[in-house]
Amino acid sequence: MPGGMDLKNEVFQSSTCALCGACLDWCPYIANMEDHLVMRFDCNVGEGRCYAVCPRTYADWQAIGDRYLPDTPRNIEIGPYFNVFRVKAAAGIKGQQDGGTVSNLVKTIMEDELAQAVLLTGSEDHVTPEPFLAVDIDDIEKAAGSRFLASPGLRKIIEAQANKVQKLAVVGRPCQIQALRKMDFNRRPDKPPLDLITIGLFCMWSLGWDFNEYLQKNFPGEKILSLGIPQHGFVVKTDKGEHILPLDEVKKFNKAGCGYCLDMTSELADISVGAFEAEKGWNTVIVRSAKGQELLDKAVEKDYLICADYPEEELNRLKGASIGKKNRNLNNIQAAFDKGVKPFIDLNSEMYAQVRKLAEGMVK
Amino acid sequence: MEWMITADEPGRTYLMQGNEAIARGALEAGIRFAAAYPGSPSSEILAMLGHVAEKMDLYAEWSTNETCALEACLGASFARVRSLCIMKQNGLLVVGDALHSASLSGVKGGLVLVVADDPSAHSSTNEFDSRHQARSAGLPMLEPANMQEAKDMVKWGYELSEQLQQLVMVRTVTRINHGRSSVSLGELPKEKPDPVTIGEWDRMVAINWFKDAQIAKIDQAKSIFETSPFNEYKGPEEPDMIIVTCGTGWLYSSEAVEALGLRDRIGILKIGTTYPLPEDFIVKHLLKTKKVLVIEEVDPFLEQNIAGIIAYHPELQVELLGRYGGKAMPRNGELNPDIVRNTLARLTGTAFTGPETAVIPPEEAVALPARELTFCAGCPHRASFFLLKQTLRIQEGQGVVMGDIGCYTMGGQRAGHYLYNFLCCMGGGINAAEGMGQLTRFGFKQPVLALAGDSTFFHSCLPGLVNAKYHDSNMLFVVLDNSATAMTGFQPHPGIGQTAMGKAAEPISIKKVAEAIGCPVTVADPFDISGTTSKVYDLLKQPGLKVLILKQECATLVVRKREKPRVWVDQELCRGDDCGCGRFCSRIWGCPGNIWDYEAGKAKIDEVVCVGCGVCISLCPAGAIKMEGGGACG
Ligand SMILES: Cc1cc2nc3c(=O)[nH]c(=O)nc-3n(C[C@H](O)[C@H](O)[C@H](O)COP(=O)(O)OP(=O)(O)OC[C@H]3O[C@@H](n4cnc5c(N)ncnc54)[C@H](O)[C@@H]3O)c2cc1C
Ligand code: SF4
Ligand code: SF4
Repeated sequence: MPGGMDLKNEVFQSSTCALCGACLDWCPYIANMEDHLVMRFDCNVGEGRCYAVCPRTYADWQAIGDRYLPDTPRNIEIGPYFNVFRVKAAAGIKGQQDGGTVSNLVKTIMEDELAQAVLLTGSEDHVTPEPFLAVDIDDIEKAAGSRFLASPGLRKIIEAQANKVQKLAVVGRPCQIQALRKMDFNRRPDKPPLDLITIGLFCMWSLGWDFNEYLQKNFPGEKILSLGIPQHGFVVKTDKGEHILPLDEVKKFNKAGCGYCLDMTSELADISVGAFEAEKGWNTVIVRSAKGQELLDKAVEKDYLICADYPEEELNRLKGASIGKKNRNLNNIQAAFDKGVKPFIDLNSEMYAQVRKLAEGMVK
Repeated sequence: MEWMITADEPGRTYLMQGNEAIARGALEAGIRFAAAYPGSPSSEILAMLGHVAEKMDLYAEWSTNETCALEACLGASFARVRSLCIMKQNGLLVVGDALHSASLSGVKGGLVLVVADDPSAHSSTNEFDSRHQARSAGLPMLEPANMQEAKDMVKWGYELSEQLQQLVMVRTVTRINHGRSSVSLGELPKEKPDPVTIGEWDRMVAINWFKDAQIAKIDQAKSIFETSPFNEYKGPEEPDMIIVTCGTGWLYSSEAVEALGLRDRIGILKIGTTYPLPEDFIVKHLLKTKKVLVIEEVDPFLEQNIAGIIAYHPELQVELLGRYGGKAMPRNGELNPDIVRNTLARLTGTAFTGPETAVIPPEEAVALPARELTFCAGCPHRASFFLLKQTLRIQEGQGVVMGDIGCYTMGGQRAGHYLYNFLCCMGGGINAAEGMGQLTRFGFKQPVLALAGDSTFFHSCLPGLVNAKYHDSNMLFVVLDNSATAMTGFQPHPGIGQTAMGKAAEPISIKKVAEAIGCPVTVADPFDISGTTSKVYDLLKQPGLKVLILKQECATLVVRKREKPRVWVDQELCRGDDCGCGRFCSRIWGCPGNIWDYEAGKAKIDEVVCVGCGVCISLCPAGAIKMEGGGACG
């Protein structure tokens, strides 16, 4: 396995980095501020953990899926799953993004002590993401709502390990769930396996931190309360009112690395949560493992969550959106490889051929 | 040594350093005023005069820069006080305007300017030959060939200066300044004249009306030099070749002639008055031969002036050899006895049979550990360069860094992670940054930084700062404030609060100066690597001119002042070569105190070298570096 300078050359310099944060660990060479993640000094270590865990270096994702979700029925569009539900919190939580499902799953984990800490991402300004290890139910509210700026939250894994956390739950973007799986998949044989519960978010893209400056420039002096992407655009709620930005304007701030991402629904998570587009105040929940199903059941049992059937046409719409992202970004990946970026997936595999076929069918 | 330069023992001989001899010469001439800006190899002169100032009834100052120093001497000279001005060759370029102007106004009290050249630029960025300035400004220049002459020429320089009413220059080279030989002392004056009253119609003005007077003075100097005892010929009446030489070249040539047994074939014409040349004296001797070899340090200055004389004197039928063209002698770099002897052997077809000087046979040579130039242990510059480098990398804007002159010039090498993109002269960094920072209007996006030390800030950055502020350039000016002119040996400067004479002075605050100019100023501690990195990162986002003062005391001063804490590596915690950090502490941080324990395969602190700054503690990913006891830093 190659090392830090290879990561620099293949990932940082080709701007494919997803800013998941997995490589940071305790490495003294890789440094991060805001959405910059760089090699601050040249590393001379030939073989690096950073390279082994990065979701943008080569991985056999099918083999990784087979390891962690062995019994789950396969699906090309949205990844392996048992069930898809429509879910929302019975009693809402302040600041929740959609149905408040994630926050209530986290609450269940804490109450039932399914993990000793939960990696969440919050911040008081509701814009900049600050990852932290939550151990207290009161911490959940601090993270309610989506921060659409990319953040290397997995840098907190090292802190969890230093604090001797044996069972950890993580709420993360798809790239972060991928990295967590890869971390375990490529772990050194003398290291114990990671004991994780993974709650994956849906994610089409994340934004660069210059978007924050854009907000400050456009809405000077206003205190931002939330950001959201309902159907009609990008909504910025502030203490002075509600502003709607055209989505195309916001997309200009997309993190370059998101253009190489093939995962919209956190396909390797125990349970994935996103918006339910057809009705405000609900979430889409994809159950992918027995662990995920148990967690959902517990939350429903406690009357924290209400769970309902998922409409067929919505599932088709969801799958269509996922295939759309995969197909778009496969094109980007192809173009990057053509330009000399070192291949990090096998573009000729059967799976990607099927994605292309499905996407073509959609266009017709 | 101070007791030697003030010893009232006429006729007594001491082994003296050239710089001591110069100070002694000035004291024998009865100077009452001395001003200098530090610079190797000249720095010891004013330091010594500062220490003996009170005792010897004179005033000495470390001026803020060389122009301040020279013009201060002009002020003293106006009141007929004898003054000594000292600088290195770079400084002479700084005072170019003052020098050319002063040669028009002339002087009243004797004024000698000692300028020390640094052949091969051992402690400079260039090896400029200061003799060009004497010729260009039309000023007489003396060049001592040994320590005795260094003393005598400085002393005589005052008589000459007052006779001509002109500034007199004395040029030395490193081997004269720092070498030692015996010097016989002269008398120290019992009384020194007081400053005179400046009358309503007394003038000392530099204006071109006085050009004729200036030319007359240099012509008069020439005729005085024709009979000067500092010029002499030794050798046969019809030599095969005459060596014309000055300064250290005279010593090397005399040795070579002896060693090769050429005393009967080669004559040596030693010139102590290198500008203007004693033309008749030179012609008289060159008529004796057909071949002339010129041996001198740095540029073929003497050589080409002799070429000029030959051109005006068709009676001279000689072949002229020297450094010009690099054929007879190397065109570049410091000379030494071997180079001169080998040249002479080649030109005369003689073989040298004696032992090689200064060459130790490889089997006897003690292997010195290969050491690269780096900052001292605990030096705040190491932390400053580390954090600036990482901030620029993290910021990903490819920041451009304009360096400057001082200890921190080393930051352009490995010790400073090759941070600089640009290096010119003192004060050059901020001006280049001002220019580049104006290119934002044409779409230039990279952040622009300039660095300067605290001494350099006062020396030559103030006009640059005013310029950058007034024109609102987009740049970050970083002052590396270690409260010292450490490079040249801790001479005090206006920010320190102490004068050359050891008196307390009110220190001038860099922060207040920059704020008064209107700059937003941030002061940060370079030892707080992560906190200061965030500050620099934020500053780089802001448009316009920003000033950042990275303040932390020079480690060499700190050790003298505070009890040293113990820093050590807990080898249980250090993961050694298994770590994956790639020996970050010793390899990247690179403090001489962080070393590798090859036996244990772990990191270690060299507790003799370590000064206990504790910065490496915050850099070890395993938290293996520990500290206990001692006082806090700066
Ligand atoms: C960058 C980003 C892009 C997204 N894109 C889509 C999309 O295209 N389609 C879609 O259906 N859903 C998307 N989501 C998910 C959606 O915004 C909600 O997070 C999800 O529906 C859960 O809602 P909830 O009400 O249960 O969340 P809540 O109960 O409010 O909990 C939100 C959780 O999100 C976590 N979080 C917040 N910001 C970040 C971040 N930057 N990185 C990692 N974790 C974070 C917090 O830790 C918190 O636990 C995106 C989320 C993010 C962060
Ligand atoms: S994708 Fe993640 S692991 Fe890879 S370089 Fe970026 S932050 Fe590091
Ligand atoms: S689009 Fe992909 S890479 Fe970008 S934040 Fe979302 S999951 Fe990560």
